[in-house]
Amino acid sequence: MKIGLEVHVGLPTKTKLFCRCKAYATEPNTAICPICTGLPGAKPMLNKKALEISVDISNALNCIIEKETSFVRKVYFYPDLPKSFQITQKDMSVGHSGNLKINNKTVRIRRIQLEEDPAKILREDNYTLIDYNRSGQPLVEIVTEPDINSEEELKLFMNELKSILYYLGADIDQDIKVDLNISLSDSRVEIKNVTGLKNLIDAAKYEVQRQEKLIQTKQQILQETRSYSEAKLSTISSREKESDEEYGFIFEPDLTVYNLENIKPKEPIYTSIIAKDYSKKYGVSELQLLEIILFDKNSLKIIQTFAGKYEMKAILNALLSFKRYSKSEIKEKIIEKAIQLVQKGSYLDAEVVSALEKGEEININSNIVNTDEIDSEIRSIIKKNKQLLEDYKTNKKAMNSVIGMVLKKFKANPRVISERLEYVLSNEFKV
Amino acid sequence: MNSYEEFSKKDKPTDYFIKLSETLSKLNEELNAFNVISDLSKLTNFPISVKDNICTKDVETTASSKILKGYIPPFDATVVSKIREKNTFSFLGKTNMDEFGFGSFGVNSEKCAKNPFNTSYVSGGSSSGSAIATSILKYHISIAESTGGSISTPSAFCGVVGFTPTYGSVSRYGLIDYSNSLDKIGIIARKSEDIRFMYDIIKGKDIYDTTSVDINCNNQNNKTIILIDELIKEINPEIEKLFLELVDKFSKMGYVIKHKSIPFIEKAIASYYIIAMAEASTNLAKYTGFKYGFKNENISEKYNQFFTTSRSNFGKEAKRRVVLGTFVRSASVKDMYYSKALKTRTLLINELSKVLNEGFILSPVMPIKTPKFDEINNFSPLEVYKTDMLTIPPNLCGFPHIAFPYAYLNGMPVGAQLITKHWNDYAIIDIVSEWENNFKYNFKYNLGSI
Repeated sequence: MKIGLEVHVGLPTKTKLFCRCKAYATEPNTAICPICTGLPGAKPMLNKKALEISVDISNALNCIIEKETSFVRKVYFYPDLPKSFQITQKDMSVGHSGNLKINNKTVRIRRIQLEEDPAKILREDNYTLIDYNRSGQPLVEIVTEPDINSEEELKLFMNELKSILYYLGADIDQDIKVDLNISLSDSRVEIKNVTGLKNLIDAAKYEVQRQEKLIQTKQQILQETRSYSEAKLSTISSREKESDEEYGFIFEPDLTVYNLENIKPKEPIYTSIIAKDYSKKYGVSELQLLEIILFDKNSLKIIQTFAGKYEMKAILNALLSFKRYSKSEIKEKIIEKAIQLVQKGSYLDAEVVSALEKGEEININSNIVNTDEIDSEIRSIIKKNKQLLEDYKTNKKAMNSVIGMVLKKFKANPRVISERLEYVLSNEFKV
Repeated sequence: MNSYEEFSKKDKPTDYFIKLSETLSKLNEELNAFNVISDLSKLTNFPISVKDNICTKDVETTASSKILKGYIPPFDATVVSKIREKNTFSFLGKTNMDEFGFGSFGVNSEKCAKNPFNTSYVSGGSSSGSAIATSILKYHISIAESTGGSISTPSAFCGVVGFTPTYGSVSRYGLIDYSNSLDKIGIIARKSEDIRFMYDIIKGKDIYDTTSVDINCNNQNNKTIILIDELIKEINPEIEKLFLELVDKFSKMGYVIKHKSIPFIEKAIASYYIIAMAEASTNLAKYTGFKYGFKNENISEKYNQFFTTSRSNFGKEAKRRVVLGTFVRSASVKDMYYSKALKTRTLLINELSKVLNEGFILSPVMPIKTPKFDEINNFSPLEVYKTDMLTIPPNLCGFPHIAFPYAYLNGMPVGAQLITKHWNDYAIIDIVSEWENNFKYNFKYNLGSI
């Protein structure tokens, strides 16, 4: 199985790529001008901030960044494209020949190009609406080689990529759009415009199964473009293509050649490497650590600040409790208190977290527990009474007796035991 | 009946102006040249016209194309706003041209523009209306545009001065694109001093045109004229004779005359037409009948049919250039044509820059005499393209050049062209001023006054 991706990242600039219109305006057709609606005589002017961000991304993905970059016109007729050509990049793109490591594997990056988004098309029953707000919004397209060989790798790659973009501040915090190329045989099938990680995995799963079935029954796999239907959990053929499309690329003569040598890229952060290092150094779960910091700058900062000063396990426990119970941003002073409590053996439940945030005094004695001991007691009780699990599936109160049984053994806050029970049930018994 | 009335009666101003400015058309009940001229006397500001491919806010702008009929831009081109800011000009209207600038004789337009010296002759194109208006009006400057000779040719045929500046020295923002890497907004006027005056106003960097730059004015004149063998070898004998007389006069004015051979210059026409058509075919892609100009009302058609119906409104030359331009940039032949043409242009710029460091290149504007309309009909497209052999090299390379009248042949004006290196624009305007001291312009009409 070979999977290659074209990942579209919306860049977080204030204005569009080639004009001064506001980017990401919501009220349809309010952020438009002669340039982004392609009126005769209008010309593009490049948003330098977008160019800088595309250099950040190229650098983070270990690309070769040439001295100069330029743009091309990609010509095709479609109602969402006001000039009937898209300004994009090809041979002189911002970055090329890069790679991204996931676990022990390297996914090669073919090209990173800066381009304009077409307008948005809304299809109704008898008519079509076009919203030009999206026309000219800045996109970076990351094109990979077909180096991804499983759904697991696909997920790892996307998480790693999204984490890098998050730490660079290089995406607009919308669901990334991906074109997915999947081939189990010689025919390449492209699934266009899949939005969101869950849909991406589902689309890949379905498409792999579909192609496997065709191979098993000795049927031909057509080289074609398909689209993913979230509702039907399947891919649908949109057009067959026997060869590559003809876009008649030419150099974009309204723009010049842009120098990249003077752009100093932002230092990238690779959370997977940090997680690996810290887990080795402090003996905590790499996966748990990664999950905490993948898309959370603040938590990473807290971990880096308190690493060495407190036990890493206590830091992570405190962070997990705050992430679970607190809605506001975690403050360093408050979390430090929390870490100290955890180190003393206290259990951070919702009430404690809330009290810490309000700056109230905490009676730590009532919450001092050894969660590992409680968890193991819960585990053994459930294992001895298998019927409980069956009953629990239909009646959530069926487990209440367990709390009583644990209380017989430990002098602890029942609320804490209830929370631990919930945790063990969902994490270990998957109910 | 004097010639003034003859011209007025036969030719409506709409033949050279596509659309008159609102003030002027309100003044006129019957749109003929005579009325326009009498109204000019009421103007207190200096009259200006603008080629119809330059956007003017609230005034219809069509680039002479049916596909843009009714298109009223919501913005002014940068040159137009610069002129408006001065508050000392009156806009007469939009001047006639070959559709989108595709043509050398001004005949690729719904309303064919005629030569004011003799209406059975062509006016030259594509800035036909700009040259004609300048030729008949006593005081008037026209903002024109050249891609491959569209200022020099009509200026030569209509006996006026046509200036095409260094590529990038005048903002193209608001110019309806023919070929973006070749298009240059320039000026047509009766005298070099008007050119200098207007160039001062419109030149300069504009943030809305990335390719524009502030001209670093040098004004170098080493009193050397260079004649390129390849540019004067296939000239009509009568034109050649007059041209050699002109060279003599320059020699008497103190210029050293040098001869040079640049065989490579003959690749210019092919390189030019490939780049121009490749870019034009992408620029014309936006005319799909959706948003402006010609509206295709048949919205139940499938996309492909819808686009086909809309785009049938292009004229024949526009269609030819879309087809050829699309071909030369298609993947299988791109290296053979488009990429090669770009390389040729770069080589030619380098080679000609060296020559232009030694002096000014002087040549006729057209290798032929001003043709009559019935002669044009017998030309094949390739023969028409070949007549651009003298105007294409400076246009392809973005060198500033100026066409000026230097003789009259059977009552028709004959023009020559001076080329200089990039950014030496003022030097050639000055040389024409120097020439004007020894030359008497003939104009058939001197209409209007301010």
